[in-house]
Amino acid sequence: MYFFLQVALSGIATGAIYGLIAVGYSLTFLTTRILNFALGMWVMLGGMLTLSLVVRLGINPAISLVVVLAAMTLLGLVAERVSVFPFLRAGSDVWVMSTLAVGFLLIDFAEIIWGRTPAKVPGFLSNQPVRLGPIAMLPQQVAILVVAAIVFVALDLFFRRTLLGKAFRAVAHSGEVSTLMGINVRRIQAGSFAGACALAGLAGFMVVPLTLAEPQMGTVLGLKAFAIAIIAGLAAPRGILLCGLGYGALEGLISGYFYTGIRDILGFSLMIVVLYFKPEGLFGHPQEERA
Amino acid sequence: MSRARIGIAALVVIALIAAPAVLPGTYYTYLAIIVFIYGIVAIGLNILAGYAGQLSLGHAALMAVGAYTTALLSKALAPVPFFTATGLHIWLGIVVGTVAAALFGALLAIPALRVRGPYLAMVTIAFGWVIFKILQEWSSFTGGDLGISGVPKPRIASLTLIIKQYYYVVLAMFIIALAAQYRLVTSQFGLRLRAMKYSEIGVASVGVNVFRVKVAVFTLSAAFAGLGGALFAHQQNYISPDNFQFFSSVFFLLAVLFGGAGTLLGPIIGAAVLTLLPEMLHDFDTYRLIVYGVFILITLYLLPNGVMGALEGRGRKTLTDRPAGASAEVAPRWIAKAEGAMLEVRNISRSFGGLQALRNVSVQIAPGSVHALIGPNGAGKTTLINILTGFYQADSGEVAMDGAVLHLRSLSDAALAGIARTFQTIKLFGDLAVLDHVMVGFARHSQVGILGALVGGSRLRSEAERHAADARQLIQFVGLHQFENAPASQLAYGHRRLVEIARALALRPKVLLLDEPAAGLVAQEIEALADVIRRLRDCGVTILLVEHHMDLIVSVSDRITVLDYGEVIAEGSPAAIQKDPRVVTAYLGKSLAAA
Amino acid sequence: MRRLLTLCAVLVTGALAIPNVAWAQDIKIGFAGALTGPASYVGLEIKRGAEIAIDEINEKGGVKGHKLVLVARDDEHNPVRTVAQYRELVERENVVAMIGASNSASMLAVTPIVNDTLQVPVICPTTDATAITENDAKKEGRDSYLFRVGMYGTGQANFIVDTMVKKFGYNKIGLLNWTGGWGVTGRAELLRRVKELGLTPVGDETFENSDTDMTPQLIKLRQAGAEAILNYGLVRENTFLVQTKSKLSDETPFVSAWGIAGPAFWKAAGPIAEGVLTSTTVTIDGPQSPERVAFIEKYRARYNQNLEGPVFVIGAYDAIYLYKFVMERDGTDPKAIRAGLENVPSFKGLIKNFDRPVFTHDRHNSLTEDDMIMTRWTNGAMLPVNFDAKGPYVQIDANTRKYIDKKNLSLM
Repeated sequence: MYFFLQVALSGIATGAIYGLIAVGYSLTFLTTRILNFALGMWVMLGGMLTLSLVVRLGINPAISLVVVLAAMTLLGLVAERVSVFPFLRAGSDVWVMSTLAVGFLLIDFAEIIWGRTPAKVPGFLSNQPVRLGPIAMLPQQVAILVVAAIVFVALDLFFRRTLLGKAFRAVAHSGEVSTLMGINVRRIQAGSFAGACALAGLAGFMVVPLTLAEPQMGTVLGLKAFAIAIIAGLAAPRGILLCGLGYGALEGLISGYFYTGIRDILGFSLMIVVLYFKPEGLFGHPQEERA
Repeated sequence: MSRARIGIAALVVIALIAAPAVLPGTYYTYLAIIVFIYGIVAIGLNILAGYAGQLSLGHAALMAVGAYTTALLSKALAPVPFFTATGLHIWLGIVVGTVAAALFGALLAIPALRVRGPYLAMVTIAFGWVIFKILQEWSSFTGGDLGISGVPKPRIASLTLIIKQYYYVVLAMFIIALAAQYRLVTSQFGLRLRAMKYSEIGVASVGVNVFRVKVAVFTLSAAFAGLGGALFAHQQNYISPDNFQFFSSVFFLLAVLFGGAGTLLGPIIGAAVLTLLPEMLHDFDTYRLIVYGVFILITLYLLPNGVMGALEGRGRKTLTDRPAGASAEVAPRWIAKAEGAMLEVRNISRSFGGLQALRNVSVQIAPGSVHALIGPNGAGKTTLINILTGFYQADSGEVAMDGAVLHLRSLSDAALAGIARTFQTIKLFGDLAVLDHVMVGFARHSQVGILGALVGGSRLRSEAERHAADARQLIQFVGLHQFENAPASQLAYGHRRLVEIARALALRPKVLLLDEPAAGLVAQEIEALADVIRRLRDCGVTILLVEHHMDLIVSVSDRITVLDYGEVIAEGSPAAIQKDPRVVTAYLGKSLAAA
Repeated sequence: MRRLLTLCAVLVTGALAIPNVAWAQDIKIGFAGALTGPASYVGLEIKRGAEIAIDEINEKGGVKGHKLVLVARDDEHNPVRTVAQYRELVERENVVAMIGASNSASMLAVTPIVNDTLQVPVICPTTDATAITENDAKKEGRDSYLFRVGMYGTGQANFIVDTMVKKFGYNKIGLLNWTGGWGVTGRAELLRRVKELGLTPVGDETFENSDTDMTPQLIKLRQAGAEAILNYGLVRENTFLVQTKSKLSDETPFVSAWGIAGPAFWKAAGPIAEGVLTSTTVTIDGPQSPERVAFIEKYRARYNQNLEGPVFVIGAYDAIYLYKFVMERDGTDPKAIRAGLENVPSFKGLIKNFDRPVFTHDRHNSLTEDDMIMTRWTNGAMLPVNFDAKGPYVQIDANTRKYIDKKNLSLM
């Protein structure tokens, strides 16, 4: 039992990170019908900024977090204007290339600015493992779970209770109708893209003490987060955290009871099976083409 | 093709053939071989993603299947004396590798059929990732992360092909791949494929088995990738999973999109530029990715449809708004003697969640008659049409045609049974020409499958000619003669409806279901439509007409059934219905009630 | 108009393909390795070691009056690019010798064409896949152009296992290896040697590229009673490994092959790397020869930082000097250089001083197991581990000697 819990919990924090990033995919998709394929690179950018602010400049982590979020939002707005907006009406899949091109730029800038050696960002909390009985978790892992939960509750309240949130849901439903209602669709689209980048930055900030800060750190994270968003259903942000946590725990369990090599093989195969039976995702709604 | 184009093509071919002799050393030849190999894979992806609209991010894995299959097989067979002497193990390996990849493509098609858009992308990514991981993990079989070295060099008998000779082998394969793509795309099968990209429902409604088409395309596309992989393995003599990871798949998609998805030369242009560009930029090594990224962005602004997409830009003819011309007097040969069937709806019920859409609905539609179905919005008319065409299944009750009960599970089932339809929301195929739309409608009567398309032959060509002639007659019949070659998306709304009708007629239906065909038409066009309907009836086609325009209904219908809240509330001749108080109350309004 | 502009842009970019003009009498040495992307610090270090050596040589008049030039390419860790670049460097740039790439897969990909087509000598400072030097040409009795100044897989594994079993006295050996790159061959070699010594490993675990947590593997090894964990891995994964060990309060002795033999590891892992053992060929901590001290200073002055991967930098440095020695004696024809390398009776290198032939016709690896050293990460330094009657110890400074507790590798 100890083993089961320990390995499951060791994966769950990573799962929360997947969830945080995955929400970003969903937000962008809902308002623009495109996906920011390079979202993982934005996570990396958040992590590298954290490295600079907290380690190199010695700024207090809480203030650094605010700076990171602001910077990511700003950069996200710029990137949206440059790589998304011009292609929204193209009707082709051009956005695949344009978002990826921005991702390449980010990686190269990161390599030039921060170098290529993996760098350590010490945890913001202590290094002493938190013990729940015999189970050990790093304080950072617990912090990630807490932050993810807060973010999700906040997002949920935002969409349900605030006017801006409702405007967002309107645009997600139909951009054309929303314009007629006087909603500034462009602002919502740009805002959700930038919001996704900010969330990615938050994920980078939270995860970098557990991994190493290097330009390649985001690519696999971004891919797995994309998978989580799809499995949960792009149009169903609520299920995303659950799917992320579940998948993270599953990864831990597979590593524990089999071996790590088979983890992705089983995990991704499971995804294919899930999509076969539920093509719109676990929490999504069937989107029937009407005849 | 114009003379200039043929001239350019000839020059290019000559240059390619002469290249190894002219270029010094092996560096350029090597690059050319790599470009051709990537080009073959990109052509495969172009067929799948560009023409068929199935965005796949797993092609590197299919390439890997081809590469590893040939590497393992040819290494295993190498010591066998027969193969050592002839060198056939290499060529056998290439063939088997291609076939193996094709099988994996078919395997991928199964889950891929159920999903679309980003969900399809995810399935292909997951598929590619699983294969990549298996290659890495199963080290006893695949050599793990360090891969397989000592893959036999290409050989014919005792002659080991040096790189400049292997170049010609690869060039030949590449030209074959280009030719196959051309054949496929310009065939009737290719037309259906392109139509499917715009509307799966549209092609299904004329009898195309979307499931089978998708499997076929995935399989063919994978075969291209496998061929590229196999050629790659024998070129490099060493393969490792590094070459076939997710980002390699991204590269191929980028190449297709950059070169121009859905164009013939797009994939090779994309593969060439994206392979050669990093080689040429070696002076900028540190900034390589920045240059790459900026280059892509700039090209996208200028050429949002890719390089070839811009160069192949259509000459758009400006069409003025013209009324539909007078329809031909002579009925088209194709439907002149249609065998209209009797259609019986027996006690059909259907609910959606808590909403009862249809309750015990029974209708009898006499053969060769025009039967109208009217009722307020939400009465269940479109639901009934969807059940009659297999899009939905009834909860209870049955449908019979000429006495035989029909089991319709899909739109294409209905089409194959002889039931054609048009749609309330028009399902046309983007900017394909009107003639092409109607040609797609002949799918059911066509012998051309994917293999036929690749092989070609005079029989298929004459079939295409016959269908084209019939298609023109149908187009003339609905009065769109002067728009024959126009892109359908450019036509006025009312004319687009007529295209749908012409397409449906190509099916040579026994029953034709028209779902609100007059919506959006002006009075003059409605009159033309009525004329078409009457003449269709004269040909013997059974017609079920769902409509709101009472004038149209009264002028063409033989019988009218009235639905309200999912139930039949009245049925009879137009005159009787107009006076029926129940109908008047439910539907027609006070002015007529007073009459 | 737009199309015209784009076509022009494409053409201009193509024109940039014209290579830089170098003087005809310069001697060119080529290098293709990962300069960007994952593990690119390895490629960068190799390039820097070569550059320092070349500049030193040129300052003193070059090779017989000719300037040495390093022509470097970035292969992005992609074997296809490495092959293309090797062809390009030899055929278009006319390099007469090469420095080996930064990863084994790339070297395995180029080995056949180097021996069959290009025929220029390659000296590898890293990449320990044994098959690089034990290649097809060698097996068929033809000239092999691949040489290595780094450690080769079989020897390194022998050294690690022998040290742990014979010198530290462990019998219950656990394995925890990377599934990527050289981890594949590394694990196979470790297994082989353990079995040759008559033992069976109590655990054989692996981890992946992107793993950040090795909890299950470590728990399993602990439950199997492993006395020591042997490992092939790189800085990134091993950092997470020691982090996980720390989280689980696991003190099992941990020894790794030279993937973590450089300051990059301590930078990434921090103080929790204390006590980790690493096998390597060269350490820049502890007592150093004056030549080494001078070299370390020169690197620091030139690049404004300390060496990240001493093995790579110093290996490349020595490789250039080997080429210089042979070219001055035998000329600059690649075939002559190759033959000459097999005939270097003695050599003062930064890695070590050779008083035996550096390479022979049958041995293209300059170092053997006897040249390897075991080091212990001690307060940020890789201190060599020595043995006396009382057991293993490290020399903290000239006066202080601290012994190592075999149970958990802490200092007593």
